[in-house]
Amino acid sequence: MAIEERKYGAYLCKGCGIGAALNFEELAKVIRKDGKIQHIREHDVLCSPEGLAMIQEDLKPEGEGINCLLIAACSPRTKYQEFDFPNVLVERVNLRELVAWTQEPNHPETQALAEDYCRMGAARIKKADLPEPYQTECDKTILVVGGGVTGLTAALEAANNGYQVVLVEKEAQLGGYAAKLYKATPSSYPYTSLQDPPVHALIAEVQAHPLIRVLTNTTIVQSEGEPGLLDVTVNTNGTEETIRIGSVVLATGFRPYDATKLSHLGYGLSPDVVTNFEFEELAKKGKIVRPSDGKAPESVAFIQCAGSRDPEHLPYCSDFCCLTSLKQALYVRQSNPEATAMILYKDIRTPGQTELFYKEVQSDPGVMLTKAEVTGVELAPGAKLRVKAKDTLLGANVAFEADMVVLATGLVPTTLDDPILNLTYRQGPGLPETENVRQPMTIPLAMEDARGAAMKAIQALEHVAAGVAVHPRAWDETFPDPFMQRCTQCKRCTEECPFGAIDEDEKGTPYFKINRCRRCGTCMGACPERIINFNDFSVDIIGSMLKSLDVPEIEDEDDPEAPFRFIGLVCENDAYPALDAAGWHRLRLNPYIRFIPLRCLGSFNLVWVSDALSRGIDGMILLACKSGEDYQCHFAKGSELAEYRLSKLSETLDKLGLEADRVQLVTVQISDFDRLPKILDDFVARVREIGPNPFKEF
Amino acid sequence: MADEILIKPDLQFVKRIMAAGGQDAKKCYQCDTCSVVCNLSPETSPFPRKEMLQAQWGLKEVVKSPDIWLCHQCSDCTVYCPRGAKPGEVLAVLRQMCIEEYAFPPMLARMVGDYRFLPLLIALPVVLLLLALKITGRLAIPEGDIVFSKMFPWYTIDIIFLGAAGFALFVFAQGVRRYWKDLNTSPWKVRLKGSLISHLIPTLVDIIKHDRFKKCETTFARSINHLMVFFGFVFLGLVTAWAFLKEWVFHQPGPYFIFSPIKLLAMVGTALLLYGIYQIIVARQANADKAGYGTYFDWQLIYVIVAVGVTGLGSWLFRLLGIKILAYPTYFLHLASVFFLFFYAPYTKLAHLVYRTVAMLYARMADRGF
Amino acid sequence: MNANDRKILVVGGGMSGLTAALEAAESGAQVIIAEKEPYLGGRVAQLHRYFPKLCPPTCGLEINFRRIRENPNITFYTMAEVTQVSGSAGNFDVTVTVRPRYVNDRCVACDACAQACPAWRSNDFNYGLDKTKAIYLPYDMAFPQKYVIDASACQEDCGQKCAEACQYDAIDLNMQPQTLNFQVGSIILAGGWDLYDISKVDYLGFGTVKNVITNMQMERLAASNGPTGGKILRPSDNQPPKKVAFVQCAGSRDENHLPYCSYICCMASLKQATYLREQDPEAEIYIFYIDLRTPGRYEQFMWKVRDDEGVKLIRGKVAKVEQEPGTDNVTVTAEDTLGGGKIKMTFDMVVLAVGMVPSTKAKPFPLPLSYTPEGFIIPELLPEGIVAVGTLKNPLDVMKSNEDATGAALKSLISLSRR
Repeated sequence: MAIEERKYGAYLCKGCGIGAALNFEELAKVIRKDGKIQHIREHDVLCSPEGLAMIQEDLKPEGEGINCLLIAACSPRTKYQEFDFPNVLVERVNLRELVAWTQEPNHPETQALAEDYCRMGAARIKKADLPEPYQTECDKTILVVGGGVTGLTAALEAANNGYQVVLVEKEAQLGGYAAKLYKATPSSYPYTSLQDPPVHALIAEVQAHPLIRVLTNTTIVQSEGEPGLLDVTVNTNGTEETIRIGSVVLATGFRPYDATKLSHLGYGLSPDVVTNFEFEELAKKGKIVRPSDGKAPESVAFIQCAGSRDPEHLPYCSDFCCLTSLKQALYVRQSNPEATAMILYKDIRTPGQTELFYKEVQSDPGVMLTKAEVTGVELAPGAKLRVKAKDTLLGANVAFEADMVVLATGLVPTTLDDPILNLTYRQGPGLPETENVRQPMTIPLAMEDARGAAMKAIQALEHVAAGVAVHPRAWDETFPDPFMQRCTQCKRCTEECPFGAIDEDEKGTPYFKINRCRRCGTCMGACPERIINFNDFSVDIIGSMLKSLDVPEIEDEDDPEAPFRFIGLVCENDAYPALDAAGWHRLRLNPYIRFIPLRCLGSFNLVWVSDALSRGIDGMILLACKSGEDYQCHFAKGSELAEYRLSKLSETLDKLGLEADRVQLVTVQISDFDRLPKILDDFVARVREIGPNPFKEF
Repeated sequence: MADEILIKPDLQFVKRIMAAGGQDAKKCYQCDTCSVVCNLSPETSPFPRKEMLQAQWGLKEVVKSPDIWLCHQCSDCTVYCPRGAKPGEVLAVLRQMCIEEYAFPPMLARMVGDYRFLPLLIALPVVLLLLALKITGRLAIPEGDIVFSKMFPWYTIDIIFLGAAGFALFVFAQGVRRYWKDLNTSPWKVRLKGSLISHLIPTLVDIIKHDRFKKCETTFARSINHLMVFFGFVFLGLVTAWAFLKEWVFHQPGPYFIFSPIKLLAMVGTALLLYGIYQIIVARQANADKAGYGTYFDWQLIYVIVAVGVTGLGSWLFRLLGIKILAYPTYFLHLASVFFLFFYAPYTKLAHLVYRTVAMLYARMADRGF
Repeated sequence: MNANDRKILVVGGGMSGLTAALEAAESGAQVIIAEKEPYLGGRVAQLHRYFPKLCPPTCGLEINFRRIRENPNITFYTMAEVTQVSGSAGNFDVTVTVRPRYVNDRCVACDACAQACPAWRSNDFNYGLDKTKAIYLPYDMAFPQKYVIDASACQEDCGQKCAEACQYDAIDLNMQPQTLNFQVGSIILAGGWDLYDISKVDYLGFGTVKNVITNMQMERLAASNGPTGGKILRPSDNQPPKKVAFVQCAGSRDENHLPYCSYICCMASLKQATYLREQDPEAEIYIFYIDLRTPGRYEQFMWKVRDDEGVKLIRGKVAKVEQEPGTDNVTVTAEDTLGGGKIKMTFDMVVLAVGMVPSTKAKPFPLPLSYTPEGFIIPELLPEGIVAVGTLKNPLDVMKSNEDATGAALKSLISLSRR
């Protein structure tokens, strides 16, 4: 909603040491002259009820009718409730944490810093506008892909909350692997006895639910569109159908690791070496017998981590196998009370209260366990198998003879084999994925996870319907609004969007699927034409802020206090709070840097560098989040993209005769307040070494 | 692999251990808390963790391990065991099985360890003594002053008890011979240092002083109680030996003057025995929650000792008081319980006296934690 | 339908409670959070870094705080405890008692009061490793950013001196406990966990042997906003430890203490090993464990630490921790159960991987609920309309608690919509 007739007011707070550190008369002059805001008021404690009353008075339409507020006080992260005025544009200028608490009081540079922050605030408020939500039609049907225990739970939870659900399963039966279980490990206190697999009750409930449409023998041919407006084409027994879907829960689960790759553990050596999945089938058929001769085994050896926790096979722990083997050891015992089960493990992993189940199973006289590294499985006389192991609790290399060997085989996510959804558009981390798609887990955990995924799917819908962003910028009503006439089809935005929210039409023109957009602004940073902007965040707004700075001339460049000027572009979620924390700790921050928070460093547009340098600013520091494998960027790739863009920049700078070191990116965590002073000082010292920006004179 | 051991788990043996009082053995998850809190456990291949594993798998050779005898059942392990697997109790069961293993005939050993055979075991001395009375024609309560030899003349006593003791010694000798042989073969065979005798003396001194037993923490008091019972037995043994000597060498059969040194020693011995065993019972019950209640095998010996002490004291008191009708039957029971103690010694927990001594001697010679 | 239909009370403002509250609120419910501490964020706020990416938890919390700031559907109360509940699903009548903070909304967190305050208190946020003034900000990033007076530490003229130093009329020494009443349709329990009182495990020496610390103390020592400014120093002499032992299953998997596995301690110790190794490339780390439990993809993290030459993993439980005579060093005894015999080693510092206890163990919720003997809520037996989250049901890590909390928000919404 655009503000029709803008009336600006600047409110300066003198509390928290701001008043004592700055010359307010000078500050007011700057706001009036450079900021072009004439209505200026001061207060000793602006956030106090008295201070707020003063502002409220000015907001009245019958009075001053101010509707654009510049509040120069503390960090926007504090006193947010106090300085929140409906339908009024508010711009916070942080004179407390970034100035009064981190600079020498009444120093000329401190005053200059505060004045620059006021200039930037004024520049910003002139260009920003109130957000208007992006609303489109929105279908609220949820598609759940996968009819295993996770998919069933997710479908049921969503339907119980009143949503239409379409459940798609590629097999003829619902239930997935969970339905093939003979018994399930206990999922509730006292965790001592096996239970019936919970999946059967779930299937019945799902099938009886009026809001759930179950499609078995069904695969997904194609999905296109965006959340709220997805067109999913499914194929049921050869018949294709297109369904309008709001959001998707991907719960296609897992498949067992290919046991033929486990020949080192004897798979294929004898029919009596089986996987835990095969053993489960044997148990389900009734009495456990050896596949080779149909005799009941007297001894069964379980080899844990068959494939899992093995860099040659699966580089993770499959989570369920320890509990499963303990359960299957009980099958052995129940099937033949004279039989023994020997479990050879790397570590027994029965986390939380499932430890109680471990203890219960152990207490059975015929269940035996040891830590061991299995070194081989071979045939032994008398139709037996010999399992050899080292590093056992007996302190010696040992061999066990067994009638059967069960390999506790791990899990592989199904998404590894096949893309499942067959998306027609770019992919990104935009879908709520569940359970074994992300990582292996046990049934109870998978069910909890399914609820979470259903919740996320519902939220995605509701936020789309309301026209606001989802996590992490939930409730953000702004959205990228490209000025397409000037688009050159360079495709940087489509390539760089971390969420696959920008696609191309047949002619190669990008179009935005706002419902998939997380509002990080990466597209805005990517666009060389500067045509992608938000209502309150744009290339122009930041550019205007940069240009608003006062850049004094350098008289003596060797003077350590020569008034160099720098810009700091910082991640508003991590580096900016760290700056605030430095303020609370009263650390001294370098007075020559002016900080501008960005939604994400992904929105860093190279044009700002030329804007700044051409104005005579001496350098720019970017405080970004960790990128790479363990990235800490909330938008996954923002910091990485900023780094990438910077790498391109050095050539340009070289051509201009400017040194690449003038623009640097430093990784800063939110807890790094203590590192900041040195990081900033080092950067400033480096640029001072290079010397002032030669463009200053022009 | 050359040094590979083929493991053959034995479910039946596991079940036996569990039935004999090691019902919690399976709960052990091999954390080693037991081996670390134990003050008696040596640095290399410490017990009782590995014995717990062997017990869980039913590896029968564990009963031949000398380490199970180095354990004095302080129960520090049981107190701290995070799983309630009660290693102290399990090792006690293994020791019982060791006694069984080396006792001859094994059948008798199994019977002694099984509460269902207790009446039968008691019946043996009772019948034997009744038979002796029948043969000598003394089934009635004798007339006149109470003199126990009127009921059992010395020769009957000597025949029966020397016979019983001789039997026990023979069985022990067989057992120790086999045990020592097993200890000196794999897997426990180590290079023994020094001569048997040079190590036997310090071993016995250690036993007499209860030096190792005193390292117990939770059940420290038990070492003192055990010491009392131990010296009770030593004193009473001296008294018996003295009486034997008097009878056979000096031909001066009892009863003795009440304040004669030998009588005083007997009284002190009885007092130590009874007080010690009483304290053992009290302490065991008080510690039962933490340290375990003990097995049938434990309590059998405790009650036999109680029976010996109480009937001994009773027959003496009743004799002094002149209550014939109580004195003679009590004396009969005293003899029956002493017979029980002697005759079954190789099969009851009393056999620990012998096997622990052997194992400690071996451990000393093998340089294990001494 | 009534007015409470879309109202949810979330008990506990830690990571799970915040997540549940935000997820529910972002789906349109009205949410009230009651947190007993003077700040939101709970245990997670005390961590130096957390999984899976080893980022500082304040970063995740910052996002959540921001979501709260921008969400009109959430109200929260700190220092607030639920004291009474009646009614049933759809119509719970809840009494919340708010302890006096003695500092009102005028507080600007300028720190003038703390500078003037004459009294000190043990810093519970840092697990007693240092002290704060009796009026204090719980930690630098505390949300809400508001000071609080510890009345038990602020005796005599302390309050007066604090009040005099405040230029903003923010200190109100006459503040009284407040009783609030709410009608809500559903309740989410997210009380979180406490660290087990490890001094009860006498052989581990906590409280009696110098330089034996808990894993949570280690987090505080490593945190830049902790008592040592992020430099890991041992408590007795403030020297950086060169050789450190981690004792796994300190209290956990032990039926004399906590019969369950606390889930996260293995990962925590592996993580803390990296703290030490980063600060001192010469540091030697020994981790004594029974079973290394690094589920799922955490396995790869374990490999990374295992392959570090400065870290040694020993399969054996430490059951003896003693002061080395004449020094501040600590001697630990364990057995290398893979045939290595007893190990007796001396370390500069020992970290106990202490397990977690559900907060309901010490303080059950004021409604008759079913608990395990260890105080965990049995979720199957909860009354309609009440949902328990995360570590109240089972020990969990932050990531899984969050997933659980998201699911709990949905369950709670369903219980509302069924009415």
